[in-house]
Amino acid sequence: MTTTVQDARTPLSSRSFVESFSANVRRFPDAPALIWRDEPVSYRELNDRVRHASAQLSAAVIGTAPVGLRCSKSPDSIALVLACLMDQRPFLLPSATLPEQTLQELFLRAGCAGVLTAPSSPTGRYSWAVPQGAVRTQRDRGATGRVRGFSPDPGAVTFMLTTSGSTGLPKIVPLSEGAVDRFTDWAGTQFELCPGRSVLNFSPLNFDLCLLDIWATLKHGGCAVLVEPARATSGGYLRHLLVRHEVELVQAVPMFYQLLAQANTVEFGGVRHAVITGDRIAPGCLAQIPGMFPHARLYNLYGCTETNDSLLYEIDPTDLPTGALPLGDPLPGVRALLAGEDGTIQNGPGIGELYVSTPFQTAGYLGVPHGGSRFVTHPGGDYFRTGDLVRRHEDGSLTLEGRKDFQVKVRGVRTSIEQVEQVLGRHPDISEVAVVAVPDPVAGHLLHAETRRVPGSALNSLLLRKFCADHLARTAIPSTFRIAENPLPRTSTGKIDRQMVARLHMERD
Amino acid sequence: MNHIQTITEFLVDEFLPDIEAGSLTADYDLLAGGVIDSLGLLKVIAWLEDRFGVVVDDLEIAPDNFRTVAAMNEFVRNAGRPTERAA
Repeated sequence: MTTTVQDARTPLSSRSFVESFSANVRRFPDAPALIWRDEPVSYRELNDRVRHASAQLSAAVIGTAPVGLRCSKSPDSIALVLACLMDQRPFLLPSATLPEQTLQELFLRAGCAGVLTAPSSPTGRYSWAVPQGAVRTQRDRGATGRVRGFSPDPGAVTFMLTTSGSTGLPKIVPLSEGAVDRFTDWAGTQFELCPGRSVLNFSPLNFDLCLLDIWATLKHGGCAVLVEPARATSGGYLRHLLVRHEVELVQAVPMFYQLLAQANTVEFGGVRHAVITGDRIAPGCLAQIPGMFPHARLYNLYGCTETNDSLLYEIDPTDLPTGALPLGDPLPGVRALLAGEDGTIQNGPGIGELYVSTPFQTAGYLGVPHGGSRFVTHPGGDYFRTGDLVRRHEDGSLTLEGRKDFQVKVRGVRTSIEQVEQVLGRHPDISEVAVVAVPDPVAGHLLHAETRRVPGSALNSLLLRKFCADHLARTAIPSTFRIAENPLPRTSTGKIDRQMVARLHMERD
Repeated sequence: MNHIQTITEFLVDEFLPDIEAGSLTADYDLLAGGVIDSLGLLKVIAWLEDRFGVVVDDLEIAPDNFRTVAAMNEFVRNAGRPTERAA
């Protein structure tokens, strides 16, 4: 039997992040809140840094106008985010690896009154800049904060995350205080977050995954063990962090487990929950996980930046699925359905686009009418069209089939092939371009760019990479380039034949 | 001892098959443009260890030491001397 609309309808009570964090500082001031470069940062110390950041924010920005944060992961960056949360000030937290021009455009679009960069030392000053082209009076164009001193406002915007736009500028995803509170409460209950519990944070600070492994952890009094992004691909370093800091919860993309499996010689007996998220995992890698985490419950967790986590599947370590991992069941309060090409709801087995509605979702992309066409109303609520094609099997279980658009995951980051092609196509020395995704055992996919340069041009991969670095996020820069002067293969209808490009590339390898 | 030429030749051989060694300048940012990604970095470090006999602790990898040919050259020259870990 299959049901169309799945709805657990469990009401979620929520506690405010602000109240919970303040209570943790009072109750366990000396407990570690963060581990950074093997050193603990206590709740008291973190709170001191939050007050330092808050004072500088208040001095720089009138009221609670939105601000932009340029942050790579560090205790001071986390303090800066906390200061915004505590002051109920909306903040845009984009990927620090985006090109400068893209960052400036995003800060402007979010109505940021200014952009802050965390200092490199705990007592240093936050550097402050007004976005290029901004006028001070434009805060009404962006998300608005609220006047300090009011009671919590579940509708007020807090985090503004970015997602890869299918073309052009990344889209801004504002999350309300209520959405963040409901999510962090769910995560706390599901993964038993509590004082004294160590949680590994693998992803960069701007990823939605941090809502679980940093922000929910701090809400519930636990300790976030921070992986330095620059060292995140060293399996030996990851193993060290898990062992030394007695990590009990791990949430990461398949690449993490692959790196660990390659470097590992020990069992991580202390891990109680290991969550795979963000991408499909290779069966060979999955097979090694029960051995690495002999005492852990294992999960496949599905979510998008726009909706946050939506579906959860608990993996039976004694009976690993041979094919794709099922997506599992909707989280409490989540509804999921499959829709056909024309948007009609599909009942029964088959393939359709996954639509989800969650208590944690955004109200829509910032500055886009009605939140954008990816948000649709169906019986039971406002749904987000995920773009993921999902198969419903005879037994009702769901598995991922692919994407509706030209998007792939590169190291767990949703990346638009079309966008990369468009950027390369703008280079004056390029006349034809095709970008293809090549499966990779560690990264999931790697991008390969096949280009035709104009005759007589001196274009080489160094110049092209420099051009990409100025216009694309780092994960979107192709791993390999081929620059030739002969035309690219085309289909009978005259379109560039991506499949042929991919095949020729694989054969050359 | 200047290792710029040796390092440049290795990088071109390994990561930049389409270009001539002369085109890669010592100050080109290899990380920003993705010539070396985070996995490529491990390959570079393994080669530096092997070629120059330096030892890079797994836990001490600071990407800025490997951002450009010039930085790698500097890193190799300083290896063996006590250095402060990059903050």
